[in-house]
Amino acid sequence: MKTYIKTIFIGISIIFTSCTDVIDVDTPSADPRLVIEASIDWEKGTSGNEQTIILSTSTKYFEKIENNMVTGASVKITNDSNGAEFVFTDQNNGKYSTTNFVPVLNQSYTLEVIYNNEVYIAKETMTPVVDITAITQSREEGDDDEELEVNVIFDDPENEENFYFVKFRKKGDLLPELFRDNDEFTNGNRMTIRYEKLEDDSINQEAFVPNDVVDISFHGISKGYYDYISILINQVDGDDGPFGTTPVPLKGNCVNSSNPENYAFGYFRLTQVIKTSYTFQ
Amino acid sequence: MKKAIFALIFFTSFLFSSQIFAQESHTISGRIKDVTNGETLFGASVFFKDTTIGVITNEYGFYSITAPKGNYTLVISYMGYVDLSQEVNLDSDKQLNFEMSASSEELDEVIITAEETERVNIKTPEMSVSKLKSETIKKIPVVLGEVDIIKSIQTLPGVTNGGEGTSGFNVRGGAVDQNLVLLDEAIIYNTSHLLGFFSVFNADAIKDIKLYKGAIPARFGGRVSSVLDVRQKDGNSKRLGLTGGIGIISSRLAIEGPTFTEKGSFLLAGRGSYAHLYAGSINEDLKDDKVNFYDLNLKTNYKLSEKNKLYLSGYFGRDVFNFSKSFKSSYGNLSGNLRWNHIFNDKTFSNLSLIYSKYDYEISINSMAFDWIASINNYNIKYDLNYYASNNFKLDFGGNAIFYDFDPGQVNPTSSTSPINPLKLDKKKALETGIYASAEHKISKALTMEYGVRYSSFVRLGGQPLTNYANNRPVVYNSSLGIYSEGIAIGETNYKDDESIKTFGNLEPRLGLSFQLTESSSLKAGYSRAAQYIHLLSNTTSVTPVDVWTPSGKFIKPQLSNQYALGYFKNFTDNVYSLEVEAYYKDVENRIDYLDGSELIGQNNIETEILNGESRSYGLEFLLRKSKGDFTGWLAYTISKSEQRTLGDDVEGPGINNGNWYNTAYDRTHDVSLTGIYKLTDKWTFSSNLVFQTGRPVTYPNGQYQYEDVTIASYSDRNSDRLPAYHRLDISATYTPNNKPERRWKGEWVFGIYNVYNRKNAASISFGQNKETGINEATRTAIFGIIPSISYNFKF
Repeated sequence: MKTYIKTIFIGISIIFTSCTDVIDVDTPSADPRLVIEASIDWEKGTSGNEQTIILSTSTKYFEKIENNMVTGASVKITNDSNGAEFVFTDQNNGKYSTTNFVPVLNQSYTLEVIYNNEVYIAKETMTPVVDITAITQSREEGDDDEELEVNVIFDDPENEENFYFVKFRKKGDLLPELFRDNDEFTNGNRMTIRYEKLEDDSINQEAFVPNDVVDISFHGISKGYYDYISILINQVDGDDGPFGTTPVPLKGNCVNSSNPENYAFGYFRLTQVIKTSYTFQ
Repeated sequence: MKKAIFALIFFTSFLFSSQIFAQESHTISGRIKDVTNGETLFGASVFFKDTTIGVITNEYGFYSITAPKGNYTLVISYMGYVDLSQEVNLDSDKQLNFEMSASSEELDEVIITAEETERVNIKTPEMSVSKLKSETIKKIPVVLGEVDIIKSIQTLPGVTNGGEGTSGFNVRGGAVDQNLVLLDEAIIYNTSHLLGFFSVFNADAIKDIKLYKGAIPARFGGRVSSVLDVRQKDGNSKRLGLTGGIGIISSRLAIEGPTFTEKGSFLLAGRGSYAHLYAGSINEDLKDDKVNFYDLNLKTNYKLSEKNKLYLSGYFGRDVFNFSKSFKSSYGNLSGNLRWNHIFNDKTFSNLSLIYSKYDYEISINSMAFDWIASINNYNIKYDLNYYASNNFKLDFGGNAIFYDFDPGQVNPTSSTSPINPLKLDKKKALETGIYASAEHKISKALTMEYGVRYSSFVRLGGQPLTNYANNRPVVYNSSLGIYSEGIAIGETNYKDDESIKTFGNLEPRLGLSFQLTESSSLKAGYSRAAQYIHLLSNTTSVTPVDVWTPSGKFIKPQLSNQYALGYFKNFTDNVYSLEVEAYYKDVENRIDYLDGSELIGQNNIETEILNGESRSYGLEFLLRKSKGDFTGWLAYTISKSEQRTLGDDVEGPGINNGNWYNTAYDRTHDVSLTGIYKLTDKWTFSSNLVFQTGRPVTYPNGQYQYEDVTIASYSDRNSDRLPAYHRLDISATYTPNNKPERRWKGEWVFGIYNVYNRKNAASISFGQNKETGINEATRTAIFGIIPSISYNFKF
């Protein structure tokens, strides 16, 4: 909801904004960092034994990303209660996989990545997710009452703080759309996370039409990850207009215990997830 | 506190004792007005010819001048008016009222002065002050022909803002909330319409404005950067008149005239926009939507007797956004002021004011079925006295008390299926009081001093719960992750209505001195300390209408500033030109800063999102003016620096931005503004405005990586890069057809072109992936390209 209020005023200022264009900008460049995309997502109703972690390095902003996958690192996750270790095998393409991971809800785990003789450590807890009550489509509910939107509807549990992360991707689209929400203003209620595409000629974006298929991943996440992904989504949206906040260096939870200054980008998350898709009628 | 009051009394008595009553003196007092409309003239100079004895009229046109017994020529002079002079045999106290007439070319001549009367200007210790008359403001070319006070003061040195479409203004590297904006003494909390495209002041209702950039007189308090003192017209007391205008964005109409058989007068002015007419043509989807604003200004006065006068003024303005499909929002200011001017005797003038002001906003979001309201209300009682003790000593003293009522937000679901729970953020209350005494003291022929002190106190009142935190830390630092997050709440303390949560008191000395070097040049120096007890919470680049004000209290400390200024002032070529050069240094303690990713909207415990920091700014300002002749104008140049640093006091960790100094969003290294007005004939006047500014500090990415199939930009330290330089040229022409003096209807056409060479000035640059190709792009948003305008103004 907070995001929504801010977006409104960004929206209003854009009405008066006659002109956007793509320009060349010289950006500064920082030394590359390790990027740890350790997203341990346990699909509800599956055993969750197959998991993959991706390691790469950051590059200059205006540089084609290539050959930045990290190989030769050692990656393992430990169950903090019983000490069970899950070693991820180097697939030599930046991916590290295991087939014997054992997810336990509300269990704390530790990730250890050793790369270039530096040890990166992260701790996180497997966070459950509530069931989706319904997925519907509508026109009237969204920002534009003539365009289609998909609604992911769920019941927020009372008596606890909950945080959600939803990834939508229309089949055929290059980029997904990331959303996050919490129950600060909606605790215990029926909540909706809504994805509507507005027609925008300037970026060749078209609204949804019947038969469009949208893939949906609905995650329960921890507060720490919520704080992280909130900043990340704000920065991806890139609406640094007059009502944008100053972008900041984004730190995840992967600590370099050998050299703290050289922390890693990315995050070690453990989430329960519901994956589904919706076809517009 | 007791000590401070004692010090103040001691100080005041010292002031009185310093007067010299050596010879028999007498006093002349009275009011100075405009002969055509009866408006009192503020800042007119009244002096005895060939002496150094002189005063300036106060806000109500009152003057009092004292001199040893003798024969004098009393001269009254005010820029743009014909000088008056009268032989006076000063053998007793006298009352003399004067009415001045505008000089014949006044209608076209445009004058802008740092102080209206040069002769006095270089002598008074007043510095760092900019003054504009409504007529001048109307001549500066503006976007869409919409006359704008806030934009006009940005043509002066030391004043900038966030760019087109952003609210407020920044003075000498200070934040928007550090400006005290007064409309007829009432505090205005949001100076913008349409998110900053226009300002709330209707030029037809405004008499004059005065901006104190530093050396703030002791009678003002509560903000650390500047005071913008806007005064409404009293209304024509001679005859009924109409003024108005029709523009592209809005139309204005003001009616004014005498009341009660010339014992009083009134002014009623309205302005309304019709921007919504265009929304549909810009974008089909917006055709049912409404975006507009309106203002209503009222002022009336009534003369009870020669010594007693009542004034009532009011303002109501509102912005309305109604996007029928998804949301509605409206916001605005409301203020009222009842004043009583009382002249005790020919040396003592007093004014008592009862002031109310309010800012509120509401938002209603259909898609999530809730509405949101928030407001700030304040009640202010204020008493000011001017005591003209002798020809070299004048004392101002008084006090005020403001009661604040903050309602930071209430959320209500608007349907039974709304996902939103009702929420009421804790209301906050506070009482701010101030007492002051300030003397203007002519020590020798060359040296004049203005010294004063203000004692301010602030009581954060109870009647609300406050969260307690483990180790009393609302913010904690996670040293392994290197991030700040909210502290651990350990219950609440409920403060009763009659309890105070926290009390602050500050002594604020103010000092100014002027040393006259020659007949036409002087050096001035000033120091001022100021305390600010309420803060606008805003972590966005530009303030938004939904930002809320919050009082100091248990967790937030008052901002305290010191400002030092040194200036050189010179009039030359027979007062045709003047030059002002000022250097300043300002520091502010307890400037709050926002944690990475801070969420301020709907936040009841704001202390968990902020750290305590400091800011500093310094600069050099030049202002060269030509104020007489067919060509008038000014060149303003400022070179400056504005930075902040947040170490977070006793909170662990390095602080925000690793505890390093970083540029504030309103740091502008260079700021140049050239404004010229040329009167070609009686019918045609041309004006232009050229602006150049260093780009706004922003944060650019210094790297990228892939995460969740999206390219993520990684950003460097806060505000370590800059947008490209901002510059543009505006021109306008005013055509005045056949305005014979005997004609009552006077009209003029104003044709303008904003941003003549269509520079695409970046309001922002955002970084993201192209949705089709996935390649990173920098996208520039520019607000106004070249924009022509036409408007018609009239007077009847």
